[in-house]
Amino acid sequence: MRIAVCVPQVPFLRGGAEVFAERLVQELGARGHEAELVTVPFKWYPGSRVLSQAFLWRLLDLEESDGRPIDLAIATKFPSYCIRHPNKVVWLLHQFRQAYELDRTDLGQFGEGVEDRATRRAVHRLDRIALGEARKVFATSRNVADRLASSTGLTATVLPHPPQELPYRTAEAEGFVLSVNRLDRAKRIDLLIEAARWNPGLRIVVTGEGPDRDRLEGLASGTNGHIRFTGPVSAEELADLYARCSAVFYAPVDEDFGMVPYEAFLSAKPVLTTTDAGAPLEVVEDRRTGLVVPPRPDEVGRACLYVLEHADEAAGWGRAGKQVAERVTWHAAVEHLLA
Amino acid sequence: MRVAYYSPLAPEPSGVADYSSLLLPALRCRIEVEVVPTGRKRRLRGADVALYHVGNDPDAHGWIVDALRRRPGVVVLHDFVVHHLVAGITLGRGDGRAYLDAMEREAGVVGRLLAYAVMDKRIQPLWDTRPEEFPLAGSILDLAAGLVVHSRYVEGRARAYGYSGPLWRIPHPAWPAPAAEPARVGGRPLIGCFGHLNAAKRIPQLLDAFTLLRHAYPEARLLLVGPTAPGYELAGRVERLGLAGDAVVREGYVDERRFWSLMAACDACVSLRAPTMGETSGAAIRALSLGKPLIVSDLGWFSELPDDVALKVPVDEHEAATLFAALTLLADNPAVGRTMSVAALEHARREHDLEWVADAYAGALEEAAGGPAVDEAVLGEVALAAAEVGIAPDDPLAGELGAQLREAGLVR
Repeated sequence: MRIAVCVPQVPFLRGGAEVFAERLVQELGARGHEAELVTVPFKWYPGSRVLSQAFLWRLLDLEESDGRPIDLAIATKFPSYCIRHPNKVVWLLHQFRQAYELDRTDLGQFGEGVEDRATRRAVHRLDRIALGEARKVFATSRNVADRLASSTGLTATVLPHPPQELPYRTAEAEGFVLSVNRLDRAKRIDLLIEAARWNPGLRIVVTGEGPDRDRLEGLASGTNGHIRFTGPVSAEELADLYARCSAVFYAPVDEDFGMVPYEAFLSAKPVLTTTDAGAPLEVVEDRRTGLVVPPRPDEVGRACLYVLEHADEAAGWGRAGKQVAERVTWHAAVEHLLA
Repeated sequence: MRVAYYSPLAPEPSGVADYSSLLLPALRCRIEVEVVPTGRKRRLRGADVALYHVGNDPDAHGWIVDALRRRPGVVVLHDFVVHHLVAGITLGRGDGRAYLDAMEREAGVVGRLLAYAVMDKRIQPLWDTRPEEFPLAGSILDLAAGLVVHSRYVEGRARAYGYSGPLWRIPHPAWPAPAAEPARVGGRPLIGCFGHLNAAKRIPQLLDAFTLLRHAYPEARLLLVGPTAPGYELAGRVERLGLAGDAVVREGYVDERRFWSLMAACDACVSLRAPTMGETSGAAIRALSLGKPLIVSDLGWFSELPDDVALKVPVDEHEAATLFAALTLLADNPAVGRTMSVAALEHARREHDLEWVADAYAGALEEAAGGPAVDEAVLGEVALAAAEVGIAPDDPLAGELGAQLREAGLVR
């Protein structure tokens, strides 16, 4: 089959969606399909720009290329699923979250003016149309599927995907808690940094880059914790950090999927998360594969202390997590997707 | 966002007033709502959008149409047939010309001639005799900047009428069912029929069917709750059918508490309607909220109820016989009633949830208030980009762009 995998591109930024889409193309190729990544730059501000930029996808003609038909279009996140194709399948990573659960929060983008409110509603309308015309909709997590159902009435089949490929391994825990994430306010790394204020001896390693880095570093300098910001790291370095850490902290607000828990689990490490983290709660089970605590620095601090002081128990949670992660395979995912 | 809200309000004895009593608190949790005092026709300053509840009663809704004429806004069309309303605000105010015009818009020259005949008292008033043939909804639809309807039926009729503006189909919200103690009415089974009693409620057919049911179930009772329409003769018919005594229990207008208590006592509720004015039945929605097996006419909104929550009776020459069969089915098979009850509760929860309905209203009002400006902005941006690469407004490509924008719901 000739398959177009559609993902929007935010120039100069790279995150989980890009990693996922590239890997999907590879996995389809490995199974004898001719797969191609199709991207269009996306800018979602100011005002109604989110709509006109989404409309660009509507104008693409992906029914054929160079005189040969494209058999299937797999769209991933807003607004790539606005693509028109007679055989459109959506593997939904995200709707435009600012128009949904992030609205009227610090992370929202729409104000109270009538045009902002109407723009948000137009995103809803566009979603109902664009997702409604798909032959099938899969969602990367129950969280995504539930949000889709409550916002549009559409149903999606939950289909998680494996995380990025790294040389995963397990080494002896060296007594630090690792954060792997884009340094973005929504990822709530500040909860972990604030935890060091509560527990000054805590050792933390924060990987990644992003717009919130200066603020987070400023916050870290006000604590007595041992907090190291690595910036972006290579795949080898990341696998090494996973292997050596005592636990991985991952607690974004109402996350839609999040590959980090799976990556931590494949390294046999437990995950510390919060009760409002969304999709991670589908795999991080309290005291089975990690710890789930209320989203407060003192609670996060206590959780960090617990895994450091109960290394054997924490290692057991990591091993249980590994079994969970190993059940999610590309083979199963692609089979469902193309069925 | 601030909404000017025009509606009859409690304690007016109006279904729309009851509707607003239910909706308003939930809507106010989402947007700023200013309820316009009854009778005020001047526009409310500072409101971003106006919401007008329009039903068929000229006394309750005449002033609302007057306000709508001054400022277009979103119309909630509770009845598709508004002949009575239009007659009230035209002929009722001595404005025969406006009635003639409304009838001509509806049915051309024939309509105008019929209106003359009504005004000359040569024929009976059409709003009493043939309103469904002359709904006169155009008089309202022409003024609506957006339209809220409760059913696919009214949506279809409005579109067929030529209404092309924004339209939102928002189900009637269900009342939270109170823990009402069932009234002691007696009867095995007890069949209930609630609401104004008039010819359109198919009371003769109901009485005929119930008479047949009494042969098999001598202890059956029929509970008729609601005021009788003026001139509607009920007692004589009941007597002629041999239903005098305790077979038919009659209650007039009752307060909410008594209403729920009486309905809670019923084994099944009957909500028939023909002709339909396009209305949604508040009594039927209440019955669903209580999980009562429901028998309805197979018409209009009633037809849209799922088959597992309502037995549907076609309006034809076999109507009474079919109704009798439906009543017998429920009386003979309590398990059927129990299954319908579960389905009714689930349907009320899923389709008529008040919070969902309030969300849908907030969405509709937000779209109505800011939507045109957003449409304009998106269209302007796309048009500018097209013009910059040489696509002129009359170019077929420009038409294709417009079609794509409409298909994606980005302009309307």
